[in-house]
Amino acid sequence: MKRLNALNLTIAGVTAAALIAFAPIPGAGQEQKGKGKGKGGPPGAEQYGPYYAAPAKPGEPVGRTPDGQPDMQGFWTPRFNQAIFEVQDHPTAQPGIGPGKGAIVDPADGRIPYKPEAAAKAKELLTKQIYLEPEAHCYVSGVPHAAYQQFGYQIVQPAGYVLFLTEYAHTYRAVPTDGRPHISPNIHLFRGDSVGKWDGGTLVIDTTNQNGKTWFDMAGNFTTQAIHVVERITPVDTNNINYEAVVDDSTIYTQPWKIAGQLGRHPDQNMELMEFACVEGNQDLVHYTEGVGGKAKEKGPLRQ
Amino acid sequence: MRNHAAVILSLVAVVPLAAQSYRAPRTPDGQPDLQGIWQAMNTAAVNLEDHIAVLDMPAGRSVIVDPPDGKIPYTPAAAKQQKENFKNRAKADPLNICYIPGVPRVMYLPFPIQIVQTPKFVLMASEFAHTLRRVFMDGTKHPDVALFWIGDSRGHWEGETLVVDTANNLPDTWLDRSGNFHSDALHIVEHITRTDPDILTYEATLDDPQVFTRPWTIRMLLYRHREPNATLLEYECNAYLEDSEKERK
Repeated sequence: MKRLNALNLTIAGVTAAALIAFAPIPGAGQEQKGKGKGKGGPPGAEQYGPYYAAPAKPGEPVGRTPDGQPDMQGFWTPRFNQAIFEVQDHPTAQPGIGPGKGAIVDPADGRIPYKPEAAAKAKELLTKQIYLEPEAHCYVSGVPHAAYQQFGYQIVQPAGYVLFLTEYAHTYRAVPTDGRPHISPNIHLFRGDSVGKWDGGTLVIDTTNQNGKTWFDMAGNFTTQAIHVVERITPVDTNNINYEAVVDDSTIYTQPWKIAGQLGRHPDQNMELMEFACVEGNQDLVHYTEGVGGKAKEKGPLRQ
Repeated sequence: MRNHAAVILSLVAVVPLAAQSYRAPRTPDGQPDLQGIWQAMNTAAVNLEDHIAVLDMPAGRSVIVDPPDGKIPYTPAAAKQQKENFKNRAKADPLNICYIPGVPRVMYLPFPIQIVQTPKFVLMASEFAHTLRRVFMDGTKHPDVALFWIGDSRGHWEGETLVVDTANNLPDTWLDRSGNFHSDALHIVEHITRTDPDILTYEATLDDPQVFTRPWTIRMLLYRHREPNATLLEYECNAYLEDSEKERK
């Protein structure tokens, strides 16, 4: 029988549950420290705690799919420093979020160029992130968060599409590459509307129509419906993909900003992604108080 | 469960398949090409059996082609359970709390399904709660451990027809809105054939000796979305459920 292994953790569907809210938070669990060490990840990989990042190692030249696209198919794990906790550099520990590096390469200070009101809002959200963090509610991640999604993803390239199949919450992201226009601006989606095209060896994905309910991370870095993201995804060889995304939203930022990271091919290409039954096993709402949409009484143990 | 495989096979042999004169185009690796966005146009999601309308549930005819009476061959105890389920459906239907629909229900929900084929697997992506089915086509067997909301699907081609064997089903999913149900002994064999450029003939035989007295078969058509730039949007059920709970407060 073929091995059934998840990208990083063996997560049996129904018990996946509370991992989402609690596992990714350094310091939240007693056993977090040093858990990821010695797994061969890049510098800083220990900050991922239970997450796996495939080691960077050179591969073969990039092949082509039957319809001529550069072939990125397979299982990939993201290397974006500690962006999954906070997308901008965060040298100071915050409640539930340890210090670490983000993935912002422009501006050079590694920080999101918020307008003052937006910075205040993000700061406020950070204080409530344990309750409000969208993935703790099993929400689908937006773009570009989907690119550095916890647990990694599989890329599939049937003719006319590039699909990203994430293990987290068994979500998928289908990017048509047939030249179609965006859907109507009247429609807003968690995942937005993505259209892609190949620019030489680079897949350029333009994403609009996001619903402003997703965050970049766990740290309150929020989005609005005005967000416009252009991703440039360049396979370097069969083991490595360079990723960058320019994020623009003139309603909350003073200038567009850019993140960059790499995807590493998972060494086991015969794996099968496990079912990640997020909603079905989620215990978070039991712990949240009623005031923030949960089911616990206001005097529960996690009351803020 | 496995003892019933032979029964299912012989049963499928006597059920006439839809006309096979159409030959589907092929994928680059030679599979019949089922790719596209498809959707059922019937009331199977409401009730697989013949049913009159009730509030929010339109009337419809049975999609059960075997047994010929169009009824699910429940054991007496299971028939009683189904009636209870129907009565309690507003609370008890797992879809009301946004759980993964399971097989075969995901195939005939009123939400589109995008089929994608690779040499190793056939992907069926539903718009409902971004439910994904991966049908592994590499000759591998069901795992010995673990049950899944969406089951474990392994498939192969028989001529023009994709044959999918699904086991490892959690017992918690329903077959429709009316409380038709199964146990963890459920074993499903689907036959999916592109019988026209824009039609998939979908057939599923369900066996579950804990709940049914014999295997039974549903059949329906799935229609291709032909509108230009057809695309799946999203139905993030759990997010809307939270919103509606907040609104009620």
